Amino acid sequence: MPIVGVPIGERDVVRAAFTWNLAVEVARLGAWAAVVAPLADRASALWPEESIRPMGVNVLLVPATNLEELDRGAREIARQQHASARISVDAGGVVFVRIPPLWLRELGAGQASAGGTELLRWTLLFTSSEGRDLLESYGIAKLVTRLSPGARIGITVHGARRTGEAQAAFLRLAKVTRRRLSAHLTSYGLLVDDLHVYRAIVAQRPIGLVHPQSPAARSMRDVAELVLADARAAAHG
Amino acid sequence: MADDPAGRLRYVDALPRQELRDALRRAKAFDPPLRILAEDVLGADSRIDFVAVDPSGCVVLVVIGDEGEDSQLLTRALAHRAWVRPRLRDWLQLGPDLEISASAPVVAAILCPSFSPATRAAADDLGPEVVQLSSCRSVRNGAAATVLLERLSPRPAPAPPAAADHTSRFRSGLSEADLGLTSEEAREFE
Repeated sequence: MPIVGVPIGERDVVRAAFTWNLAVEVARLGAWAAVVAPLADRASALWPEESIRPMGVNVLLVPATNLEELDRGAREIARQQHASARISVDAGGVVFVRIPPLWLRELGAGQASAGGTELLRWTLLFTSSEGRDLLESYGIAKLVTRLSPGARIGITVHGARRTGEAQAAFLRLAKVTRRRLSAHLTSYGLLVDDLHVYRAIVAQRPIGLVHPQSPAARSMRDVAELVLADARAAAHG
Repeated sequence: MADDPAGRLRYVDALPRQELRDALRRAKAFDPPLRILAEDVLGADSRIDFVAVDPSGCVVLVVIGDEGEDSQLLTRALAHRAWVRPRLRDWLQLGPDLEISASAPVVAAILCPSFSPATRAAADDLGPEVVQLSSCRSVRNGAAATVLLERLSPRPAPAPPAAADHTSRFRSGLSEADLGLTSEEAREFE
């Protein structure tokens, strides 16, 4: 089952909420989805309480102190789901794995064992259209392409007020990445700037279930469709 | 509430909203100091306790809540902010003497007795140019009431220099040095 690595800082509740909401939308599309994160996240405010499992989407915490252990834990979860035959081959599924950026840094600096780079084979980055966020996404893409050449790096632009703004942000990032890193980015759409996003984040409830007709929910669903399409293609490929 | 003959300071439960606003004005409790333009203003779908301006010309929307209301207040404050931002230029036309900077951020300042970890994490992630949290405790000194504010969310960081800043950190917690970014690469996204 395809695994998508999502670098999320230990206090980045917004990106964590996007990831969780994306998993819920993938489940709403009829596929299986889960979020995997290091066990240390239990003490953080990143994820909803364990009892909150909309559409059966779990946040599964695995004992891991580095990327290699996290990768192993995520693959075991993916293998168990596949073996349990709970999902049809056609429906497919996606495992989203929260990558602590500091573990990426340690790997990049040669301070950790070289294993775990498989987790970077498909990486998803959330960025706004602000220059500082675009620079961060470029920097993480730079690190990922060095550690895992040929990795698929997907970009979802959030906080956009207009489609054109999000497109311009993606193109700007993609141009610089292609020119400087000889790497191609995959666009996974945009998440609309919508108050329902913040309400849902604070309330720890998925946007797609609480405000299904809101622009934020519709855009989240669009992103989920793009990600799931690639996941199914990868599973069949 | 009866006067305390010993005149001791003591925390009290939430003051009535108007008394609390009056106490905030008297105490000049805000740091940095705010110039209050309006009070009890109808915003997005509820009222804004204060519309104020800070020393840099940023509009600050102050909303006050009771214990346990912090997450609702965050939602409400962000709604007010979204409502105000497109109206700033109109306000400047109506009141050019307001000395508002139309290009500066509109900040939502939330005052509550306490904040949950989730609210604090959300505010930290949004950043001090979007929302600022302060704990707000009412104190009686004899018959008089005053307010103690303690800023909880981080103060704004100084603007980064044009060249690559190897000490400032991104939302991921990584720095430009961690990501091996050069000054030329940083300039691509200015």
